[in-house]
Amino acid sequence: MIVVTGASRGLGRAVAERLIQSGEDVVGLSREVADLPFDAMVCDVSEYDSVKSVAQKLKREKKELKGLVNAAGIASMNLAVTTPPSMTQKLIQTNLVGTIHCCQIFAPLLIRKKMGSIINFSTIAVALGLKGESIYAASKAGVEGFSRAFAREMADFNIQVNCIAPGPIKTDLLKGVSDEQIDSIVSQQIIPKVFQPRDVCDLCEFLLSPKSSSLSGQILNIGGV
Amino acid sequence: MNLNESKSIVRESILEITDGEVEPTDEMNLIGKEAALDSMKLVELCLVLEDKSGDLGFEFDWTSEVAMSRSRSLFRTVTSLAEEFLSQSEKGK
Repeated sequence: MIVVTGASRGLGRAVAERLIQSGEDVVGLSREVADLPFDAMVCDVSEYDSVKSVAQKLKREKKELKGLVNAAGIASMNLAVTTPPSMTQKLIQTNLVGTIHCCQIFAPLLIRKKMGSIINFSTIAVALGLKGESIYAASKAGVEGFSRAFAREMADFNIQVNCIAPGPIKTDLLKGVSDEQIDSIVSQQIIPKVFQPRDVCDLCEFLLSPKSSSLSGQILNIGGV
Repeated sequence: MNLNESKSIVRESILEITDGEVEPTDEMNLIGKEAALDSMKLVELCLVLEDKSGDLGFEFDWTSEVAMSRSRSLFRTVTSLAEEFLSQSEKGK
């Protein structure tokens, strides 16, 4: 079984659907799970007890975890000085703390089998230091730092931890970002093009497969920086 | 369950995860420079204790703000871990 958070929309949903197509047993986690075409459970990753409750249920069902994709996240394109404190808190709590919650609660299920792959989601905004994304980038920079250190903690158990850092990809998360802004970001990538959700799905499949067994603690920027 | 039984569970668990290579004593250090277990084995010990707590009707929570503190950690010694295991079993029932 592979657990995918943020599975109701955006990249999380695309990844969950791709894994289903590839024959994987997927459990999607999301705050809303109505009408999803795969097994899904209600979970708010920003709440420790919510994640813990889901993990306990999966453990009781004797489901064997082999991978975790932490795609749950929120974005806010705003200047730091015009961002209300409530949004700062929400960004950090969901993007960073939510990822940490899922890693620390699901990792023991992987440790028992001494194998598995964890994929966390960052953003190319960290490497590029994008104007107007400072707090969002800060939350994701935290994810990168956590992932690198956590990868070392998990290496003894044959568990890989890597980050995918997408650039602009047309999903709900990009609502409100103008085409001009997108073009400006894309022009800073080594491969200056807008990538598609399928590109992220390809990378996820690779990182969840034995073919990626030599990689851990890596930040993979889509498009390159 | 009393403290002696709890200690016995912890010692048995250490024997399990080390395939008998570590002979546990009550005052054996579980963390620090002279620790008998490395961090990997310590996590494995937690998982075994979690399984055993489930059999006993409670869930062992090994997270702690002072988990790596040499003076206050529940992992200081077999005895301190057994005391915490016992305490949680009493609260969990």
